[in-house]
Amino acid sequence: MLGERPAVFHTNENKDFLRDILDREAVRVWQQSVVKRKLKYLGLPAAEMLDVVSWEPFLSTFTTIEREENQQHLMFLRANVNDIEHRMKSLYGEFDDILISGRDRYGHSPDWPFDLINLDYFGGFIYSNLSRPRAIKKLIENQSNYRHGFLLIITQHLRDGDVIGAKATLVEDMRRSIKSLCVDQTLIESIDNVMDWFADATTPDIARQALYMNVFLKDKGEAEQFDVKCQPAIHYVGTGHSSMIHFITELRHRGDAAHRIASEQSLVDVVDLNVRTLDHGTLKSMFKRPQLRPA
Amino acid sequence: MNTNSLALPIHDDDLVYAPAILILSQDLYPRKLEVVREYIQNASDALDSFGEISHIIDDGTEPLIKISIQGRSLLVYDTGIGMDADDVAKLRRIAYSEKRVGKEAGYKGIGRLAGIAVADKLKISSTSYGDPKLHHFEFRAKEMRDEVDENKRKGIIESATEVIKRHTTLWSDEIDPKDHYTIVEIREIAESCSELLDPTALQEYIGDIAPVDFSPQFKWGAMLSEKLRQNVPDYSPKTIYLANRNGERARIYKPYIDQMLISQPGEIPITDPADPSRVIAFCWYATKGQKILGEIRPSGKIFAVDGKDFAVKKRFAGLVYKLFGFSVGDRSLPARTLWDKSEVRAKWFTGEIHIIDKGVLPTTDRSDFVENRARDVLYEAGKRVSSTLNKRAQQISDNRKAFSDTERLRQRFESTQQSLKDDKFDRSSLKRLKEEAAKNLEILRARQSKCTDDAIKDYLEKVSKFGKGISTELDSRKPNGKHPIPDISTTLGMTSKAKKVYDIIMQTLSVHFKNDADEYYSVSNEIVESLRRRY
Repeated sequence: MLGERPAVFHTNENKDFLRDILDREAVRVWQQSVVKRKLKYLGLPAAEMLDVVSWEPFLSTFTTIEREENQQHLMFLRANVNDIEHRMKSLYGEFDDILISGRDRYGHSPDWPFDLINLDYFGGFIYSNLSRPRAIKKLIENQSNYRHGFLLIITQHLRDGDVIGAKATLVEDMRRSIKSLCVDQTLIESIDNVMDWFADATTPDIARQALYMNVFLKDKGEAEQFDVKCQPAIHYVGTGHSSMIHFITELRHRGDAAHRIASEQSLVDVVDLNVRTLDHGTLKSMFKRPQLRPA
Repeated sequence: MNTNSLALPIHDDDLVYAPAILILSQDLYPRKLEVVREYIQNASDALDSFGEISHIIDDGTEPLIKISIQGRSLLVYDTGIGMDADDVAKLRRIAYSEKRVGKEAGYKGIGRLAGIAVADKLKISSTSYGDPKLHHFEFRAKEMRDEVDENKRKGIIESATEVIKRHTTLWSDEIDPKDHYTIVEIREIAESCSELLDPTALQEYIGDIAPVDFSPQFKWGAMLSEKLRQNVPDYSPKTIYLANRNGERARIYKPYIDQMLISQPGEIPITDPADPSRVIAFCWYATKGQKILGEIRPSGKIFAVDGKDFAVKKRFAGLVYKLFGFSVGDRSLPARTLWDKSEVRAKWFTGEIHIIDKGVLPTTDRSDFVENRARDVLYEAGKRVSSTLNKRAQQISDNRKAFSDTERLRQRFESTQQSLKDDKFDRSSLKRLKEEAAKNLEILRARQSKCTDDAIKDYLEKVSKFGKGISTELDSRKPNGKHPIPDISTTLGMTSKAKKVYDIIMQTLSVHFKNDADEYYSVSNEIVESLRRRY
């Protein structure tokens, strides 16, 4: 069989902007102001390893996970061409499986903990078996075992497999939760307004997905003694006109806490984070939406 | 019409049956690390080929080979000339090679598929300068092995070409036409071949067999490198990096380092007996050293390094043949082919014999040379190496003995000098010391006559002069008489009868040696000391 396949390495303008401008700056600040040494990276960079190559000045070693054999082979090639092969450890298998089982298909494990974790997923976050949320939860637990803070960047497909209505359930849970914490009864109406907006079928699903992910990270992070700071999610059109959503979250470990901690960024702050959309290098708010806190 | 002209082209490999591929590949590599050599050899040839054109196309890519381990994969990457679509397609043809005999290291064309002997898959990706395609080749070896085994049971015999086609895939991607490289991934390496995934074993093996330069941590390295460049026309050490598991990589060098205590190397050009102006090989050698008189000098022992067991300690003992910078055979091969006897002397030396005459060809497994006229000439002319090194070994032995005896006798002379200063002589010890000094000076004279090391010779002369001075002083010295033979009867609690016997013996001796007082005191003193020790 002699065949020809499409170009090996590809990206698009939006992805380039996120990776090379926004994320790169977040990584730079995390390295220079928080960690103050080169970062240990764990990620799903695909064969191109464009993120690793772009952020390379801030990285020490990087552990990559790849589930497709030929892609992993190309990753090895790419690492050699970029002269970074010696700093790479590549695991083979599904990210979720490796996180949950602790080992790849050859029995090798990630060398925990990491300073920077970049998960550029194929597909969405929620599927019926919830393996992805379970894997992220495990990842946070692993980091916590080492009391090690990290910068978490997640990119995923907007279309998920939420057949079980996980996001809708979350909205109702949050309505109750925020109301129960609220002592000012005059705010109850605005809480309902905001939650009604999230629950409304005409509200784009991306709003619920952004809320779900940020609240998920905040909840699981705080349970493991991390002070979690979420940034507004970013929507963009990726390669092949796919709708993508991008999250940057800082998790700082508060090792002295004996139990669940409360982050400086409150739940209300997280609910009020608006989704931004990226268009030709410009970020703007995606929706006009009600806020819990007046602007 | 000639019917042959209508026949389809038949390649040699069409006549190779499928089971033979497995037998061929597995039997070729009894030591699994040898698989790496095949790919380094191809990479090295690719670098040389690109080197021939790089100045024309003004390409400044650093020529290098990088080896890394990922999971159960071993990767060999080079920035050489790369392969185009035709070259990659030829990977499907077993035993096919276009390597130029006498120009490149490998020549049998089997090594490109060496990985199938140790792994389930072999993946090769390559592009050559100017080619806008990155070509991929995948060989599913396990899949093929399983099928061949199954077919053998069923009695189905196919040609290797057919089977290989079924279990290989070729495809290509677009790439920058300026790129030129090759990466080989030996994937899913068998548990039984895990040394291929051991960075320490790889580093040691590659340093020993590959065309790499001398380590900067070897003080004679630069000098030897220069000598080899001057005398071996194709001497071209390659930059090879090995990634280790802690995020760093190390450049691989030849194994020689200063810690091994290597004495100053020597060289022997080997010329064609029929045409002495034609150098057919060039040998450098060195011996184990020890610090003597402020410098590392040959110690005259089998060349050994630190290690757990005998084999590890002696692994660099002996010379090794090099062809295009690659080792051929192990360190016993020159000993077996160039030494008629006293092979143990060959182990006193470490070093390399770089073969310049490219009529000398390695066997497929690189354990020996193909029997031909060029090899016979090499072996005959190479006797010069054994005769030179045997003579050198004798010199080293003589020099080492000269130094160790001189060192020992200097200490003895110093001890005598101290006794002279303390003036503690009785007649008995004076005689002994005089005899000893004379004997020691004779030993030094014998050593001096065979010593060829000027510094040791100088040292020996100084010690001899010192010894002569001591001898003269002993001759002029009279016993001080402070220590007459003691009355030991009280000390030893002798009975009166025993004391009488003792006195009789001593008086008898005194009479017997009346003309040789020194001897009398010497013998009587020995008796006294013996009685003291016994009672």
